[in-house]
Amino acid sequence: MTSRGSRTALVVGSGDPADSLGVGLVAAGWSLLRLGDGPIDDDTVAAAFPTLEHLDLVVHARYPALCRWRRELTDLTTKQWHAACDEPLEAGIRLARGAYGPLRAAGGTMVYVVPLMASAGGDGFAPFAGAAEGLRVFAKSLAKTWGEAGIRVHAITLDPSAFLAPDDAAGMAEANSLHDPPLGRVPDVADEVSPVVDALTTDAFAALTGASLVVDGGLWMPG
Amino acid sequence: MTADNRLDRLLEDQVAIVTGAGQGVGEGIAAAMAQAGARVVIAARRSANGEPAAQAIRDRGGQALFCRCDVTRRDDIDAAVAFSLQHWGRLDAMVHNAVSPPGPPRPIQEVDDETIASQIATSTTATFHCAQAAFGELRANGGTLVVLTSPAGIEGSGHLPLYGAVKGAQRGLLKSLAREWGPHGVRVNAIAPVASTPAMDAATEVNPTLEARLVGRTPLGRIGDPTADIGPVAVFLASGLARHMTGQTLAVDGGRYLGL
Repeated sequence: MTSRGSRTALVVGSGDPADSLGVGLVAAGWSLLRLGDGPIDDDTVAAAFPTLEHLDLVVHARYPALCRWRRELTDLTTKQWHAACDEPLEAGIRLARGAYGPLRAAGGTMVYVVPLMASAGGDGFAPFAGAAEGLRVFAKSLAKTWGEAGIRVHAITLDPSAFLAPDDAAGMAEANSLHDPPLGRVPDVADEVSPVVDALTTDAFAALTGASLVVDGGLWMPG
Repeated sequence: MTADNRLDRLLEDQVAIVTGAGQGVGEGIAAAMAQAGARVVIAARRSANGEPAAQAIRDRGGQALFCRCDVTRRDDIDAAVAFSLQHWGRLDAMVHNAVSPPGPPRPIQEVDDETIASQIATSTTATFHCAQAAFGELRANGGTLVVLTSPAGIEGSGHLPLYGAVKGAQRGLLKSLAREWGPHGVRVNAIAPVASTPAMDAATEVNPTLEARLVGRTPLGRIGDPTADIGPVAVFLASGLARHMTGQTLAVDGGRYLGL
Protein backbone atom coordinates (compact mmCIF):
# COMPACT_ATOMS: atom_id res chain seq x y z
CA MET A 1 0.00 0.00 0.00
CA THR A 2 1.08 3.54 -0.66
CA SER A 3 2.09 5.53 2.40
CA ARG A 4 -0.25 8.43 3.12
CA GLY A 5 1.10 9.69 6.44
CA SER A 6 -0.76 12.98 6.30
CA ARG A 7 -4.16 11.35 6.17
CA THR A 8 -6.23 10.73 9.26
CA ALA A 9 -8.59 7.85 9.88
CA LEU A 10 -10.99 7.26 12.75
CA VAL A 11 -11.66 3.58 13.45
CA VAL A 12 -14.60 2.93 15.74
CA GLY A 13 -15.05 -0.26 17.74
CA SER A 14 -13.23 -2.44 20.25
CA GLY A 15 -11.61 -5.78 19.48
CA ASP A 16 -11.69 -7.30 16.03
CA PRO A 17 -12.22 -6.49 13.27
CA ALA A 18 -11.69 -2.86 14.35
CA ASP A 19 -8.28 -3.60 15.90
CA SER A 20 -6.99 -5.45 12.84
CA LEU A 21 -8.33 -2.80 10.50
CA GLY A 22 -6.46 -0.21 12.55
CA VAL A 23 -3.25 -2.22 12.34
CA GLY A 24 -3.58 -2.50 8.59
CA LEU A 25 -4.31 1.18 8.10
CA VAL A 26 -1.35 2.24 10.24
CA ALA A 27 0.85 -0.07 8.17
CA ALA A 28 -0.41 1.78 5.10
CA GLY A 29 0.68 5.11 6.58
CA TRP A 30 -2.55 6.40 8.03
CA SER A 31 -2.62 8.46 11.21
CA LEU A 32 -5.08 6.61 13.40
CA LEU A 33 -7.68 7.77 15.90
CA ARG A 34 -9.78 5.29 17.83
CA LEU A 35 -13.13 5.21 19.55
CA GLY A 36 -14.08 2.02 21.36
CA ASP A 37 -17.41 0.45 22.23
CA GLY A 38 -18.37 3.22 24.65
CA PRO A 39 -21.43 5.40 24.09
CA ILE A 40 -21.60 7.34 20.86
CA ASP A 41 -23.61 10.36 21.82
CA ASP A 42 -23.34 14.04 21.13
CA ASP A 43 -20.72 14.48 23.86
CA THR A 44 -18.39 11.73 22.66
CA VAL A 45 -18.78 12.79 19.05
CA ALA A 46 -18.10 16.38 19.99
CA ALA A 47 -15.04 15.30 21.92
CA ALA A 48 -13.75 13.20 19.05
CA PHE A 49 -14.22 15.62 16.20
CA PRO A 50 -13.91 19.33 17.00
CA THR A 51 -10.14 19.33 17.20
CA LEU A 52 -9.94 17.87 13.72
CA GLU A 53 -9.88 20.20 10.77
CA HIS A 54 -10.71 17.32 8.56
CA LEU A 55 -11.13 13.58 8.63
CA ASP A 56 -10.23 11.52 5.58
CA LEU A 57 -11.73 8.22 6.66
CA VAL A 58 -14.17 6.91 9.24
CA VAL A 59 -14.43 3.14 9.66
CA HIS A 60 -17.30 1.87 11.75
CA ALA A 61 -16.96 -1.61 13.22
CA ARG A 62 -18.50 -0.99 16.63
CA TYR A 63 -20.44 -4.01 17.82
CA PRO A 64 -20.35 -4.38 21.61
CA ALA A 65 -19.97 -7.78 23.23
CA LEU A 66 -23.68 -8.48 23.55
CA CYS A 67 -24.05 -8.27 19.75
CA ARG A 68 -21.66 -11.16 19.40
CA TRP A 69 -23.35 -13.31 22.00
CA ARG A 70 -25.23 -16.20 20.42
CA ARG A 71 -28.69 -16.45 21.88
CA GLU A 72 -32.08 -17.30 20.44
CA LEU A 73 -34.49 -14.40 20.19
CA THR A 74 -37.03 -16.00 22.47
CA ASP A 75 -34.46 -16.08 25.27
CA LEU A 76 -33.52 -12.39 25.08
CA THR A 77 -34.74 -9.80 27.55
CA THR A 78 -35.75 -6.38 26.28
CA LYS A 79 -32.68 -4.92 27.97
CA GLN A 80 -30.45 -7.38 26.13
CA TRP A 81 -32.20 -6.59 22.86
CA HIS A 82 -31.57 -2.89 23.34
CA ALA A 83 -27.90 -3.51 24.09
CA ALA A 84 -27.38 -5.90 21.18
CA CYS A 85 -29.45 -4.21 18.45
CA ASP A 86 -30.99 -0.83 19.16
CA GLU A 87 -27.99 0.78 20.84
CA PRO A 88 -25.40 -0.24 18.20
CA LEU A 89 -27.76 0.83 15.42
CA GLU A 90 -28.40 4.17 17.06
CA ALA A 91 -24.71 4.69 17.78
CA GLY A 92 -23.78 4.01 14.17
CA ILE A 93 -26.32 6.59 13.04
CA ARG A 94 -25.14 9.17 15.55
CA LEU A 95 -21.55 8.61 14.50
CA ALA A 96 -22.45 9.61 10.96
CA ARG A 97 -24.23 12.69 12.19
CA GLY A 98 -21.08 13.80 14.01
CA ALA A 99 -18.66 12.78 11.28
CA TYR A 100 -20.38 14.74 8.53
CA GLY A 101 -18.57 18.04 9.07
CA PRO A 102 -15.00 16.68 9.30
CA LEU A 103 -15.59 14.31 6.38
CA ARG A 104 -17.01 17.09 4.22
CA ALA A 105 -13.97 19.26 4.97
CA ALA A 106 -11.69 16.53 3.63
CA GLY A 107 -13.86 15.06 0.91
CA GLY A 108 -13.52 11.93 2.97
CA THR A 109 -14.85 8.38 2.95
CA MET A 110 -16.98 6.49 5.46
CA VAL A 111 -17.06 2.71 5.62
CA TYR A 112 -19.42 0.55 7.64
CA VAL A 113 -17.98 -2.90 8.28
CA VAL A 114 -20.65 -5.54 8.83
CA PRO A 115 -20.80 -9.33 9.26
CA LEU A 116 -22.28 -11.67 6.68
CA MET A 117 -25.34 -12.27 8.83
CA ALA A 118 -26.46 -8.69 8.12
CA SER A 119 -27.43 -9.73 4.61
CA ALA A 120 -27.89 -13.46 5.07
CA GLY A 121 -29.25 -13.76 8.61
CA GLY A 122 -27.72 -15.69 11.45
CA ASP A 123 -29.31 -18.28 13.68
CA GLY A 124 -28.95 -16.93 17.21
CA PHE A 125 -27.76 -13.52 16.04
CA ALA A 126 -30.98 -11.67 15.22
CA PRO A 127 -30.05 -8.47 17.10
CA PHE A 128 -26.55 -8.37 15.60
CA ALA A 129 -27.94 -8.98 12.12
CA GLY A 130 -30.59 -6.32 12.64
CA ALA A 131 -28.16 -3.64 13.73
CA ALA A 132 -25.62 -4.50 11.06
CA GLU A 133 -28.11 -4.70 8.19
CA GLY A 134 -29.60 -1.41 9.30
CA LEU A 135 -26.15 0.16 9.08
CA ARG A 136 -25.35 -1.51 5.75
CA VAL A 137 -28.47 0.04 4.24
CA PHE A 138 -27.80 3.30 6.07
CA ALA A 139 -24.48 3.51 4.20
CA LYS A 140 -26.42 3.58 0.93
CA SER A 141 -28.69 6.35 2.23
CA LEU A 142 -25.67 8.39 3.30
CA ALA A 143 -24.04 7.85 -0.08
CA LYS A 144 -27.12 9.29 -1.76
CA THR A 145 -27.23 12.43 0.36
CA TRP A 146 -23.55 13.05 0.99
CA GLY A 147 -22.31 12.60 -2.56
CA GLU A 148 -22.88 16.25 -3.39
CA ALA A 149 -20.72 17.16 -0.39
CA GLY A 150 -17.88 15.07 -1.81
CA ILE A 151 -18.21 12.30 0.77
CA ARG A 152 -18.27 8.69 -0.36
CA VAL A 153 -19.86 5.98 1.79
CA HIS A 154 -19.59 2.20 1.48
CA ALA A 155 -20.27 -0.99 3.39
CA ILE A 156 -17.91 -3.96 3.56
CA THR A 157 -19.24 -7.37 4.49
CA LEU A 158 -16.86 -9.78 6.21
CA ASP A 159 -17.00 -13.42 7.12
CA PRO A 160 -18.49 -13.96 10.60
CA SER A 161 -15.13 -15.19 11.84
CA ALA A 162 -13.95 -11.58 11.85
CA PHE A 163 -16.47 -10.85 14.62
CA LEU A 164 -17.36 -14.05 16.45
CA ALA A 165 -15.80 -16.61 18.72
CA PRO A 166 -14.35 -19.51 16.69
CA ASP A 167 -17.10 -22.02 17.55
CA ASP A 168 -19.87 -19.60 16.63
CA ALA A 169 -18.09 -18.58 13.44
CA ALA A 170 -17.69 -22.22 12.44
CA GLY A 171 -21.38 -22.77 12.98
CA MET A 172 -22.23 -19.79 10.82
CA ALA A 173 -19.92 -20.97 8.07
CA GLU A 174 -21.57 -24.37 8.13
CA ALA A 175 -25.03 -22.83 7.94
CA ASN A 176 -24.26 -20.36 5.16
CA SER A 177 -21.97 -22.08 2.73
CA LEU A 178 -21.76 -25.41 1.00
CA HIS A 179 -18.22 -24.91 -0.21
CA ASP A 180 -14.78 -23.79 0.92
CA PRO A 181 -13.62 -20.25 0.13
CA PRO A 182 -12.82 -20.23 -3.61
CA LEU A 183 -9.68 -18.24 -2.91
CA GLY A 184 -8.61 -20.89 -0.42
CA ARG A 185 -8.86 -18.83 2.76
CA VAL A 186 -10.99 -16.36 4.65
CA PRO A 187 -9.16 -13.05 4.23
CA ASP A 188 -6.90 -11.77 6.99
CA VAL A 189 -8.45 -8.49 8.10
CA ALA A 190 -5.24 -6.52 8.65
CA ASP A 191 -3.44 -7.76 5.55
CA GLU A 192 -6.28 -8.23 3.08
CA VAL A 193 -9.30 -6.18 4.17
CA SER A 194 -7.53 -3.00 5.26
CA PRO A 195 -6.06 -2.55 1.76
CA VAL A 196 -9.59 -2.61 0.35
CA VAL A 197 -10.64 0.11 2.79
CA ASP A 198 -7.51 2.06 1.90
CA ALA A 199 -8.17 1.67 -1.82
CA LEU A 200 -11.73 2.97 -1.48
CA THR A 201 -10.34 6.32 -0.33
CA THR A 202 -8.20 6.77 -3.43
CA ASP A 203 -8.96 8.59 -6.65
CA ALA A 204 -9.12 5.22 -8.38
CA PHE A 205 -12.51 4.79 -6.73
CA ALA A 206 -13.65 8.40 -7.05
CA ALA A 207 -16.71 7.33 -9.04
CA LEU A 208 -17.80 4.68 -6.55
CA THR A 209 -20.16 5.34 -3.67
CA GLY A 210 -22.89 3.37 -1.90
CA ALA A 211 -21.19 0.07 -2.71
CA SER A 212 -21.68 -3.06 -0.63
CA LEU A 213 -18.51 -5.08 -1.05
CA VAL A 214 -18.25 -8.64 0.20
CA VAL A 215 -14.62 -9.33 1.13
CA ASP A 216 -14.73 -12.94 2.24
CA GLY A 217 -12.64 -14.88 -0.24
CA GLY A 218 -15.71 -15.73 -2.31
CA LEU A 219 -17.61 -17.70 0.33
CA TRP A 220 -20.82 -15.82 -0.33
CA MET A 221 -21.72 -14.47 -3.74
CA PRO A 222 -24.92 -12.45 -3.50
CA GLY A 223 -27.01 -11.18 -6.37
CA MET B 1 -61.46 -0.96 -2.77
CA THR B 2 -61.66 -4.67 -1.96
CA ALA B 3 -59.21 -7.45 -2.61
CA ASP B 4 -59.57 -10.03 -5.38
CA ASN B 5 -62.31 -12.51 -4.48
CA ARG B 6 -60.01 -15.40 -5.34
CA LEU B 7 -58.60 -14.82 -1.86
CA ASP B 8 -61.84 -16.04 -0.29
CA ARG B 9 -61.27 -18.89 2.18
CA LEU B 10 -57.48 -18.92 1.80
CA LEU B 11 -57.15 -18.07 5.50
CA GLU B 12 -60.30 -19.77 6.73
CA ASP B 13 -60.01 -20.70 10.43
CA GLN B 14 -56.91 -18.57 10.87
CA VAL B 15 -56.50 -15.74 13.35
CA ALA B 16 -54.25 -12.78 12.62
CA ILE B 17 -53.04 -9.71 14.47
CA VAL B 18 -52.20 -6.69 12.32
CA THR B 19 -50.44 -3.80 14.06
CA GLY B 20 -51.04 -0.29 12.82
CA ALA B 21 -54.25 -1.54 11.24
CA GLY B 22 -56.25 1.61 11.87
CA GLN B 23 -55.23 3.13 8.57
CA GLY B 24 -53.09 2.82 5.47
CA VAL B 25 -51.27 -0.39 4.59
CA GLY B 26 -52.19 -2.05 7.89
CA GLU B 27 -55.88 -1.41 7.36
CA GLY B 28 -55.63 -2.75 3.82
CA ILE B 29 -53.87 -5.90 4.96
CA ALA B 30 -56.42 -6.47 7.73
CA ALA B 31 -59.28 -6.05 5.23
CA ALA B 32 -57.71 -8.47 2.76
CA MET B 33 -56.99 -11.06 5.45
CA ALA B 34 -60.56 -10.80 6.71
CA GLN B 35 -61.87 -11.21 3.18
CA ALA B 36 -59.73 -14.35 2.94
CA GLY B 37 -61.58 -15.74 5.96
CA ALA B 38 -59.26 -14.83 8.81
CA ARG B 39 -60.50 -13.43 12.09
CA VAL B 40 -58.45 -10.27 12.52
CA VAL B 41 -57.33 -8.29 15.54
CA ILE B 42 -57.04 -4.65 14.54
CA ALA B 43 -54.16 -3.65 16.81
CA ALA B 44 -54.00 0.12 16.65
CA ARG B 45 -52.91 2.93 18.91
CA ARG B 46 -56.06 5.00 18.50
CA SER B 47 -59.64 3.79 18.80
CA ALA B 48 -60.66 6.71 16.60
CA ASN B 49 -59.42 4.81 13.55
CA GLY B 50 -59.07 1.28 14.94
CA GLU B 51 -62.75 0.86 15.76
CA PRO B 52 -63.96 2.11 12.36
CA ALA B 53 -61.44 -0.15 10.59
CA ALA B 54 -62.83 -3.17 12.47
CA GLN B 55 -66.42 -2.06 11.89
CA ALA B 56 -65.80 -1.67 8.15
CA ILE B 57 -64.65 -5.29 7.99
CA ARG B 58 -67.68 -6.48 9.95
CA ASP B 59 -69.94 -4.44 7.67
CA ARG B 60 -68.61 -6.46 4.75
CA GLY B 61 -69.31 -9.71 6.55
CA GLY B 62 -65.82 -10.31 7.90
CA GLN B 63 -64.68 -10.87 11.46
CA ALA B 64 -62.55 -8.22 13.14
CA LEU B 65 -62.11 -6.76 16.60
CA PHE B 66 -60.24 -3.67 17.68
CA CYS B 67 -57.61 -3.94 20.40
CA ARG B 68 -55.82 -0.82 21.54
CA CYS B 69 -52.09 -1.37 21.07
CA ASP B 70 -49.16 1.01 21.19
CA VAL B 71 -46.33 -1.10 19.75
CA THR B 72 -43.74 0.85 21.72
CA ARG B 73 -45.20 -0.79 24.84
CA ARG B 74 -44.39 -4.46 25.37
CA ASP B 75 -47.39 -4.84 27.68
CA ASP B 76 -49.71 -3.70 24.89
CA ILE B 77 -48.30 -6.28 22.47
CA ASP B 78 -48.64 -9.05 25.04
CA ALA B 79 -52.19 -7.86 25.66
CA ALA B 80 -53.00 -8.02 21.94
CA VAL B 81 -51.84 -11.66 21.82
CA ALA B 82 -53.89 -12.42 24.96
CA PHE B 83 -56.87 -10.65 23.37
CA SER B 84 -56.57 -12.88 20.31
CA LEU B 85 -56.52 -16.00 22.47
CA GLN B 86 -59.35 -14.80 24.67
CA HIS B 87 -61.70 -14.00 21.80
CA TRP B 88 -60.69 -16.50 19.15
CA GLY B 89 -58.59 -19.10 20.91
CA ARG B 90 -55.53 -18.98 18.72
CA LEU B 91 -53.05 -16.94 16.69
CA ASP B 92 -51.71 -17.98 13.28
CA ALA B 93 -50.23 -14.80 11.85
CA MET B 94 -48.60 -11.79 13.41
CA VAL B 95 -48.29 -8.91 10.94
CA HIS B 96 -46.16 -6.07 12.23
CA ASN B 97 -46.91 -2.99 10.17
CA ALA B 98 -47.01 -0.10 12.63
CA VAL B 99 -44.31 2.50 12.23
CA SER B 100 -43.61 5.92 13.59
CA PRO B 101 -44.14 8.56 10.87
CA PRO B 102 -40.74 9.22 9.30
CA GLY B 103 -41.37 12.95 9.14
CA PRO B 104 -40.24 15.31 6.43
CA PRO B 105 -37.26 14.49 4.23
CA ARG B 106 -33.99 15.63 5.77
CA PRO B 107 -30.33 14.58 5.87
CA ILE B 108 -29.13 12.61 8.86
CA GLN B 109 -27.08 15.50 10.24
CA GLU B 110 -30.38 17.33 10.83
CA VAL B 111 -32.20 14.45 12.56
CA ASP B 112 -32.54 14.79 16.32
CA ASP B 113 -32.11 12.10 18.98
CA GLU B 114 -35.82 11.91 19.72
CA THR B 115 -36.65 11.04 16.13
CA ILE B 116 -33.95 8.38 16.01
CA ALA B 117 -35.25 6.78 19.22
CA SER B 118 -38.85 6.89 18.01
CA GLN B 119 -38.08 5.21 14.69
CA ILE B 120 -36.06 2.49 16.38
CA ALA B 121 -38.78 1.89 18.98
CA THR B 122 -41.53 1.19 16.44
CA SER B 123 -39.30 -0.71 14.04
CA THR B 124 -36.61 -2.88 15.57
CA THR B 125 -37.76 -3.00 19.19
CA ALA B 126 -41.41 -3.49 18.30
CA THR B 127 -40.55 -6.20 15.77
CA PHE B 128 -38.61 -8.00 18.51
CA HIS B 129 -41.52 -7.70 20.91
CA CYS B 130 -44.14 -8.77 18.35
CA ALA B 131 -42.03 -11.78 17.39
CA GLN B 132 -41.31 -12.83 20.94
CA ALA B 133 -44.90 -12.33 22.14
CA ALA B 134 -46.35 -14.34 19.26
CA PHE B 135 -43.81 -17.13 19.03
CA GLY B 136 -45.52 -19.67 21.30
CA GLU B 137 -48.77 -19.54 19.34
CA LEU B 138 -47.05 -19.38 15.96
CA ARG B 139 -45.03 -22.47 16.82
CA ALA B 140 -48.11 -24.30 18.05
CA ASN B 141 -50.03 -23.55 14.85
CA GLY B 142 -47.29 -23.61 12.21
CA GLY B 143 -47.88 -19.89 11.87
CA THR B 144 -46.11 -16.99 10.28
CA LEU B 145 -44.62 -13.61 11.08
CA VAL B 146 -44.92 -10.93 8.40
CA VAL B 147 -43.05 -7.65 8.77
CA LEU B 148 -43.78 -4.56 6.71
CA THR B 149 -40.47 -3.11 5.64
CA SER B 150 -39.79 -0.78 2.73
CA PRO B 151 -37.79 -0.52 -0.50
CA ALA B 152 -35.86 2.09 1.51
CA GLY B 153 -34.74 -0.77 3.74
CA ILE B 154 -33.12 -2.44 0.76
CA GLU B 155 -31.66 0.28 -1.40
CA GLY B 156 -31.48 3.08 1.18
CA SER B 157 -33.17 6.45 1.00
CA GLY B 158 -31.54 9.77 0.33
CA HIS B 159 -34.59 11.60 1.63
CA LEU B 160 -35.23 9.44 4.69
CA PRO B 161 -31.89 7.90 5.72
CA LEU B 162 -33.06 7.02 9.22
CA TYR B 163 -36.16 5.29 7.88
CA GLY B 164 -34.00 3.26 5.50
CA ALA B 165 -31.77 2.18 8.39
CA VAL B 166 -34.55 0.93 10.64
CA LYS B 167 -36.32 -0.79 7.75
CA GLY B 168 -33.05 -2.47 6.79
CA ALA B 169 -32.59 -3.54 10.39
CA GLN B 170 -35.96 -5.28 10.28
CA ARG B 171 -34.76 -7.31 7.29
CA GLY B 172 -31.60 -8.45 9.06
CA LEU B 173 -33.72 -9.47 12.01
CA LEU B 174 -36.27 -11.39 9.95
CA LYS B 175 -33.66 -13.32 7.98
CA SER B 176 -32.09 -14.43 11.23
CA LEU B 177 -35.48 -15.40 12.63
CA ALA B 178 -36.23 -17.35 9.47
CA ARG B 179 -33.15 -19.44 10.18
CA GLU B 180 -33.94 -19.69 13.87
CA TRP B 181 -37.64 -20.52 13.59
CA GLY B 182 -37.64 -22.64 10.45
CA PRO B 183 -36.98 -25.80 12.46
CA HIS B 184 -40.04 -24.92 14.57
CA GLY B 185 -42.23 -24.69 11.47
CA VAL B 186 -42.65 -20.92 11.75
CA ARG B 187 -42.11 -18.87 8.59
CA VAL B 188 -40.86 -15.27 8.65
CA ASN B 189 -41.19 -12.97 5.64
CA ALA B 190 -41.44 -9.29 4.76
CA ILE B 191 -43.28 -7.05 2.35
CA ALA B 192 -41.73 -3.88 0.96
CA PRO B 193 -44.68 -1.89 -0.38
CA VAL B 194 -45.18 1.38 -2.16
CA ALA B 195 -48.79 2.31 -1.51
CA SER B 196 -51.26 5.13 -1.14
CA THR B 197 -51.42 5.80 2.57
CA PRO B 198 -52.05 8.74 4.88
CA ALA B 199 -48.27 9.05 5.17
CA MET B 200 -47.99 9.24 1.39
CA ASP B 201 -50.77 11.82 1.31
CA ALA B 202 -48.92 13.90 3.89
CA ALA B 203 -45.71 13.70 1.89
CA THR B 204 -47.60 14.75 -1.24
CA GLU B 205 -49.02 17.76 0.58
CA VAL B 206 -45.50 18.91 1.34
CA ASN B 207 -44.26 18.01 -2.12
CA PRO B 208 -47.15 18.22 -4.60
CA THR B 209 -45.18 16.76 -7.50
CA LEU B 210 -44.17 13.65 -5.54
CA GLU B 211 -47.06 11.42 -6.58
CA ALA B 212 -46.79 12.26 -10.27
CA ARG B 213 -43.05 11.66 -10.24
CA LEU B 214 -43.49 8.37 -8.42
CA VAL B 215 -46.19 7.18 -10.81
CA GLY B 216 -44.08 8.25 -13.77
CA ARG B 217 -41.25 6.04 -12.58
CA THR B 218 -43.42 3.03 -11.81
CA PRO B 219 -43.79 0.55 -14.69
CA LEU B 220 -47.35 -0.38 -13.71
CA GLY B 221 -48.19 3.32 -13.76
CA ARG B 222 -49.87 3.71 -10.39
CA ILE B 223 -49.25 3.62 -6.68
CA GLY B 224 -50.42 0.50 -4.90
CA ASP B 225 -53.76 0.28 -3.14
CA PRO B 226 -53.38 -1.05 0.43
CA THR B 227 -56.30 -3.47 0.20
CA ALA B 228 -56.28 -4.57 -3.43
CA ASP B 229 -52.52 -4.56 -4.07
CA ILE B 230 -50.66 -5.01 -0.78
CA GLY B 231 -53.21 -7.00 1.22
CA PRO B 232 -53.31 -10.04 -1.10
CA VAL B 233 -49.55 -10.46 -0.78
CA ALA B 234 -49.89 -10.61 3.00
CA VAL B 235 -52.68 -13.17 2.55
CA PHE B 236 -50.43 -15.21 0.29
CA LEU B 237 -47.56 -15.13 2.80
CA ALA B 238 -49.87 -16.18 5.64
CA SER B 239 -51.44 -18.96 3.61
CA GLY B 240 -50.32 -22.47 2.85
CA LEU B 241 -49.50 -21.33 -0.69
CA ALA B 242 -46.30 -19.83 0.71
CA ARG B 243 -45.48 -22.79 2.91
CA HIS B 244 -41.96 -23.20 1.49
CA MET B 245 -41.06 -19.50 1.65
CA THR B 246 -39.19 -17.99 4.55
CA GLY B 247 -36.68 -15.20 5.05
CA GLN B 248 -37.87 -13.38 1.93
CA THR B 249 -38.80 -9.78 1.22
CA LEU B 250 -41.40 -9.26 -1.50
CA ALA B 251 -41.31 -5.82 -3.10
CA VAL B 252 -44.92 -4.88 -3.91
CA ASP B 253 -44.27 -1.61 -5.66
CA GLY B 254 -45.56 -1.80 -9.22
CA GLY B 255 -42.01 -2.38 -10.42
CA ARG B 256 -40.72 0.91 -9.03
CA TYR B 257 -37.58 -0.62 -7.58
CA LEU B 258 -36.35 -3.16 -10.07
CA GLY B 259 -32.78 -3.16 -8.82
CA LEU B 260 -33.55 -4.54 -5.38
